[in-house]
Amino acid sequence: MTRATKVLTELFWLEHLHRIEAYLDRGGYQALKKALTEMKPEQVQEEVKKAGLRGRGGAGFPAGVKWGFIPKDLDKPRYLCVNADEGEPGTFKDKYILSHDPHLLIEGIVLAAYAVGIHSAYVYIRGEYELIARRLEQAIAEAYAKGYLGRNILGAGFDLELVVHRGAGAYICGEETSLLESLEGKRGNPRLKPPFPALVGLFQCPTVINNVETLANVPFIIQKGAAWFVEQGLPKDGGTRLFGVSGAVAKPGLYELPAGTSLREIIYTHAGGMKDGRKLKAVIPGGMSSPILRADEIDVAMDVDSIAAAGSMLGSGAIIVIAEGTPILHVLRKVAKFYAHESCGQCTPCRLGTSWIHKIVERMAAGGGTRDDVDTLVRLAGNIKGRTLCPLGDAAAMPVAAIAQKFRAELEATLERSAVRP
Amino acid sequence: MSSVLSDVLAKKIDELAARYPVKQAALLPVLHLVQNEKGFLSPEDEQDVAGRLGILPVKVREVVTFYTMFRRSPVGKYHIQVCTNLSCSLAGGDGLVGRLETRLGIALGGTTPDGKFTLTGVECLGACETAPCLMINFDYHGNLDAAGLDKILEGLA
Amino acid sequence: MIRLLIDGQHVEVSEGTTVLKAAERAGIELPRFCFHPAFVPEGSCRLCLVQIEGFPKLELGCSTVVREGMKVATQSPVVREARRGVLEFLLTEHPLDCPICDKAGECKLQDYASDYGLTESVFREAKEKREKRLPIGEKLLLDRERCIQCTRCVRFLAEITKTHELGLFERGVHAEIGIYEGRPVRNGYAGNLVDLCPVGAITDTDFRFKTRPWFLARGESVCPHCSRGCNIYVDHHPGFPRVPGSAKVYRIRPRVNEAVNGPWICDYGRYGFVEAQNKGRSDRPFWNRGGAMTELSWDKVRIVVGEKLKALRESGRTGRAAVAASGWLTNEDLYLVRKIFRDDLKISRLFIVDPKPGESDGMLLLPDRAPNRRGAAELGFDLAPPSLEALTRETDVLILFGPHLAAHFGLEELRTAFDKIAFKILVTSHLSGLESLADVVLASATPAEKEGSFTNADGRVQRFSATARSCPDVRPELRILQDLAREIGLRSDLYGPAAAARTVHVALVQEIPFFGARA
Repeated sequence: MTRATKVLTELFWLEHLHRIEAYLDRGGYQALKKALTEMKPEQVQEEVKKAGLRGRGGAGFPAGVKWGFIPKDLDKPRYLCVNADEGEPGTFKDKYILSHDPHLLIEGIVLAAYAVGIHSAYVYIRGEYELIARRLEQAIAEAYAKGYLGRNILGAGFDLELVVHRGAGAYICGEETSLLESLEGKRGNPRLKPPFPALVGLFQCPTVINNVETLANVPFIIQKGAAWFVEQGLPKDGGTRLFGVSGAVAKPGLYELPAGTSLREIIYTHAGGMKDGRKLKAVIPGGMSSPILRADEIDVAMDVDSIAAAGSMLGSGAIIVIAEGTPILHVLRKVAKFYAHESCGQCTPCRLGTSWIHKIVERMAAGGGTRDDVDTLVRLAGNIKGRTLCPLGDAAAMPVAAIAQKFRAELEATLERSAVRP
Repeated sequence: MSSVLSDVLAKKIDELAARYPVKQAALLPVLHLVQNEKGFLSPEDEQDVAGRLGILPVKVREVVTFYTMFRRSPVGKYHIQVCTNLSCSLAGGDGLVGRLETRLGIALGGTTPDGKFTLTGVECLGACETAPCLMINFDYHGNLDAAGLDKILEGLA
Repeated sequence: MIRLLIDGQHVEVSEGTTVLKAAERAGIELPRFCFHPAFVPEGSCRLCLVQIEGFPKLELGCSTVVREGMKVATQSPVVREARRGVLEFLLTEHPLDCPICDKAGECKLQDYASDYGLTESVFREAKEKREKRLPIGEKLLLDRERCIQCTRCVRFLAEITKTHELGLFERGVHAEIGIYEGRPVRNGYAGNLVDLCPVGAITDTDFRFKTRPWFLARGESVCPHCSRGCNIYVDHHPGFPRVPGSAKVYRIRPRVNEAVNGPWICDYGRYGFVEAQNKGRSDRPFWNRGGAMTELSWDKVRIVVGEKLKALRESGRTGRAAVAASGWLTNEDLYLVRKIFRDDLKISRLFIVDPKPGESDGMLLLPDRAPNRRGAAELGFDLAPPSLEALTRETDVLILFGPHLAAHFGLEELRTAFDKIAFKILVTSHLSGLESLADVVLASATPAEKEGSFTNADGRVQRFSATARSCPDVRPELRILQDLAREIGLRSDLYGPAAAARTVHVALVQEIPFFGARA
């Protein structure tokens, strides 16, 4: 089998791709037709499981396995929530699917809903994507009009209602239980797990939450089969991935590449290498929450398991490239500010730890830092990681710990230079 | 207290609420609707929305104060929300903030005396491939250098 | 049943039990702020984290359900370090208010900080400045700097009273608790928020700055302000350097009784109790002769009143006497009232007069605003309030217990009705205006100041001992009755002088087993 160079984004740059006519013209909604007429829901689930589709939101959990957690015989409505909150700094991939190929997403949604027996789905889209949300709503209206949504889809007796729901500026709402709270019209305070959303989710009913890119892959899996999908990537991490490259590269942008592509290749072969001939200093490989990599650590395969083994994480595939000349303290400042601003405030370590870290880093940036501040930062990160109610705590702690560990010498030198002598 | 919601708005709120099995779930979309109409959310708006959705005003305020996009005081005709996160900063975003503050004569968080511009710093807008970027009302503008910024500001009536 | 090991101890609990509850069974108390047994576990303070073998991260004790064979460590170095971490975080933004904070001495943050050796801070930054005296209820002030966001207050109003007055606004370190303007906490149970708050963030304006917990003695009693019989602690200054018997009650707090009031009390009782204990007391015996009130010693009381009652007994004209007892008297008091007046003196007109009933609040507060009407009923008293006519017609001697008659009739009406009554005795703990109509006013103790038992509306007999003695010159009704009985020449072991309330109780139970039953 040959590897396709592009799967999701192959036709992204076609004008009017977002219109249903263009989507149908290129074979859109055929996978849905196939599933509804030739496959049982369990078969759709099985195919997605075999395809090794890992969640593309950040956690990398196998989608087919997640769908299987929905109890078969609970007498309650089930819900599908599409996580289009895309708040992880450095990430912009879902924006493209939503605005360029909304019908691909819609088809993926219907397939997922069919696979799990869900008749009500919500797309939770971040509030800042207002114009994209309107386009998505247009596409949904088109789909309803042509019978791909609503009652008795394609005459196969399957119903699905799809609603677009806007967020309002809170990174935490990308966390699945916080998303549920927000969708229910409340503060985005995450919930205790267990119980897990598969059992107690939206409106206390069994719920599946999937990322946009994850669902956008489903039509391809159904149309071309699990084996083909695996071939595009790796056995336990099938398909291609959308890597978003930003920072000090010549060609920042979206790059669709097989899972397992080397980080070095992504930066130097695809994204044009360093901008203005600068030297590489560091890379944040998977969105701001992922532990930073030094320039000598970029020979790592960008698939969920390989980069985890290297001490970082694939996360949202958002690659932020940092050049020599950017003080690491500057990076640390942005990190510390972000998590302090986005902490929901519910649990002690995150609420007070992110704030304390932010205050220390600001003092360091203002010239009032000392060497033991670096030790304190590491200690505080350690008191946050693994102790919080939701993963935002880990997301706040890991980058701070990684920067302090890998760039300690530079940090200490900065503080030495600016420290007030007694 | 008499409602400050027009009939049209009230009807739209009911339509939004009908999309969910529980009315409260419509709160965020409803607050967007009211804010887009009125520019910001006053306590009277909170109370009216609360009444319309059958929840307590305190629950509405919890939401209004949690999410950064909801404004409790008027914003200028053009709400300039400039990204202050990492990728934009690596592309010169901090300089962009400085230039905006100088051009508009206000600090981050302020509104110009003529009520035309409000300048806010925000976190990652999801447009890092076009860094540095900002959002004016709902429109994204990226790849901004000094000239590009000036051009945009001039074009705003 | 599930068997597990906690700190090496074997524990057996039913399925669905949390680690925290199982640890309690083993006598181990996990530290906690946000957890409260009356609420659904919240899991936000992160203080109850424990180590469980096989689990990669520390897990919450409050919400983790036990599994067969689990091995839990609650005091390992990792766990202690985690607790120190949480406490250290809390102390970074917590003001150094202890010297001026009401909660000092009964503050969980103080207790845990000292348990875990947190005496020095490495926090060098500026603390958040926040509101320190925000009124959130009639008697409630919120100090947002002290608040540790355990959200017990918010959840109490959501889960228990379901009135939702408090909300959580903003987010992150700026998150703060507050009310919506014009909608303060006002639901009849606001006082519980002060008890619930683990630190001094919510304080009671009645109690604020008045004393220190380490000066207070804690007595156990039963709230007498309705027939629920909520169990309470009576916090008071015991004695030195005050005059003995002049203890002031500063506050009452709920005493947990799952079968009666759970962990709460209502505001009507909470604030009514202290008000009644300290204000408007009839604090010494008086003789009212033609409008002039002269103080009377208890010896003189015995003689004056005894003389009248002896005369009554010898004349055989007991049909011309009437007694209005009250549901505020204890079972033991009422037992003696019945024995002396009905059995010995053959007075047939025995009534019960109590405050007018009020509204039930749908939770703890019941309509009967007296603690022991059920006890009176079980003793055979007729609970129907008497007409003034029935009380005063052809009456020469009237004995009233309690000021409650003034709630049913106006003073002038009473004055007219009492005109023909030769001798009126009023036994009361509180002034009501009735004193001006009586001939002799005997100062009696409040329920907090005496020993006895009440029977609540459910038929539960609850015994209590004397706690705070606030007025030196008052006497429990039991003692007053016993002294008078002996003075008149009545004979019984129960008329003492050595017969304490518990002796009377034993006799009561023997005669009427109902009063000995335990639910």
